[in-house]
Amino acid sequence: MKNFKYSEILNLNKRIGEELKSSPYNIAILSNITIHQIKEILEYKIRSRGINAIVNIGDYNNILQDSKKYYDSNAVFIFWELCNIIDGLQYKAEIKNKNDLDEILQNTKSEIDFIIKNLRNTSLVIMNKFTSISFSNSTLKKNNFEKLADHLNKYLYNSIDLNFRLVDLEKVIVNVGLDNCLDFRYYYSSKALYKIDFFKAYAEYVSPYIMSANGKLKKALIFDCDNTLWKGILGEDGFDNIEMSSRTKYGAIFEEIQSIALALNKKGILIGICSKNNFKDVNEVIKSHPDMQLREENIIINKSNWSNKVTNLSQIAKELNIGLESFVFIDDSSFEINLIKKKLPQITVLQVPKDLHCYPGLLRQNLGLFFNFSFTDEDSKKMKLYKEQLKRETIKKEFSDIEDYLSSLKLKVTIFEDDDTMIDRMSQMTQKTNQFNLTTKRYTERDILKFIEDNGSDVFAFSVSDKFGDYGITGLSIITSNANKEKYEIDTLLMSCRVIGRNIEYAFLDFIIEKIKKRKIPNLKARYIKTSKNEQVRDFFDNCSFVLIDEKEKVRNYILDVKKYNRKKYDYIKVVYD
Amino acid sequence: MIDNLENQIKSIMSSVFEIPVSKIDDESSPDTIESWDSLKHINFVIALEEELDINFSDNEIIELINLKLIMLVVTDILSNKK
Repeated sequence: MKNFKYSEILNLNKRIGEELKSSPYNIAILSNITIHQIKEILEYKIRSRGINAIVNIGDYNNILQDSKKYYDSNAVFIFWELCNIIDGLQYKAEIKNKNDLDEILQNTKSEIDFIIKNLRNTSLVIMNKFTSISFSNSTLKKNNFEKLADHLNKYLYNSIDLNFRLVDLEKVIVNVGLDNCLDFRYYYSSKALYKIDFFKAYAEYVSPYIMSANGKLKKALIFDCDNTLWKGILGEDGFDNIEMSSRTKYGAIFEEIQSIALALNKKGILIGICSKNNFKDVNEVIKSHPDMQLREENIIINKSNWSNKVTNLSQIAKELNIGLESFVFIDDSSFEINLIKKKLPQITVLQVPKDLHCYPGLLRQNLGLFFNFSFTDEDSKKMKLYKEQLKRETIKKEFSDIEDYLSSLKLKVTIFEDDDTMIDRMSQMTQKTNQFNLTTKRYTERDILKFIEDNGSDVFAFSVSDKFGDYGITGLSIITSNANKEKYEIDTLLMSCRVIGRNIEYAFLDFIIEKIKKRKIPNLKARYIKTSKNEQVRDFFDNCSFVLIDEKEKVRNYILDVKKYNRKKYDYIKVVYD
Repeated sequence: MIDNLENQIKSIMSSVFEIPVSKIDDESSPDTIESWDSLKHINFVIALEEELDINFSDNEIIELINLKLIMLVVTDILSNKK
């Protein structure tokens, strides 16, 4: 995958997606940072193994809300970036006092519990462990930020259910190198932290979990013999001169290879031989060579003969009654490798590298192919132990649902009316906001100023804060009237996606309608104008007591009888009028 | 050379924004290409950088908003590289 460029992956992914006809395998990715580039990369990685993956990226910083929304996906990924648990935690952690840090810790723990509970019936949850490495790779002594990561990981490890898999993100980062992982250009502006190489490596690293869940794991590893299981050629060098023990330089490499194979065998992977040799000679090595680790009881099938390997491998598949796609075949000869690639493309082939010292590394890198996630008895016993211990732990606040969680946030909405000190921000919001935007009208600063100065129109903006900090000015509504000030209309209603999922829009509308009511305005018109990006607010007015009066192509027109407006009354949102 | 570069950029735009190359011209911009939003813009910049083996500065990234400007910025970077 790392050999493909991003734009190539986009094209390949599209093509393969059109070809795959199997039922979709839905993956949702919940995240508190911007990671949308992973979509096609992960899809492609999984689709190329024959699974029709569809990746949905949740809303920005909506992990809790999305854990309710996407629980019935086939798999859920969680990217929970420590530095954005509160904005700028990587530096704030070092100056906050212990109480504040404890509160962050406790709160995050409650959030973890909440997510685990929401996702308890999801068949597979792949969650990244917390990491501080991007910001602490040169500290000598652990700082607060690192300690937070350690603490949360320990908690996570002790709390997860059996359907959770924890991903060690630092391993992915090490494979790629920190400099090739991080891109701070987009971190400060868009909260995107990772480069494309990181996502490629990540998709590669976690794909065995998905393959395993789809029964796509490899079941058998078939070796050639000469220069693949041992150094040397049995037919020429003879029984006594082939090397596979650490007594010799090259022998050490093959000792390691055989040990890896033996370890796989102990986990239930079938080991076989497919080699151009005299059957009797190979059999003798298996039976009585003092350095041979793979013995008769480990080798399920020995096809040592002089027919071609295509025939032999097909024969092996038949005799073992498993599909060719469950095989991995290792050989040192380019001829054999290319032959199998061409004639039996379902088989995964690995070629022994020319530089023999790279051979064990190559095999180790491909162990994910055989990955089978199953818990042993001991693991589950340990798990139970942890669970009991957990129950005894100090009583901690538990969220029963989203509302409960939102109430704990101490949300505060401050509303500003016709405030000309913020016209640049208001104009910017009309230009940039696409998703939560009912009419998507773009206005310049001058336009906004006109609305502010006009007697017949009102410009409401709001800022949002919670117990962790301030989100800034994040919403806007413009109410206009006709010339004789009889008919009023919601010209603009928008909200930044930074604050989606907190019911703030309803509190804001409650406030606006209350204002309108006080002015004895009987009716309020509103419209939803469809764009390619604002599908999520299509029914917003329907949910807020407005009545649909007509619907043309892209426009829905509504009217509200102000007296009949049902306030949503979200008590946990404190609304302040500035 | 310039023609080649232009075709290369058009093909990246086509992959990222999922539109046919034939629909891309000098004036193509976030206003004319519907799928060109702020997130897709990041994807586009990443794809350009990887394909052409260059790095844009913060300021250059904001300038990359139609094919004509993209060509200007890119040729500038490439000529400084030599």
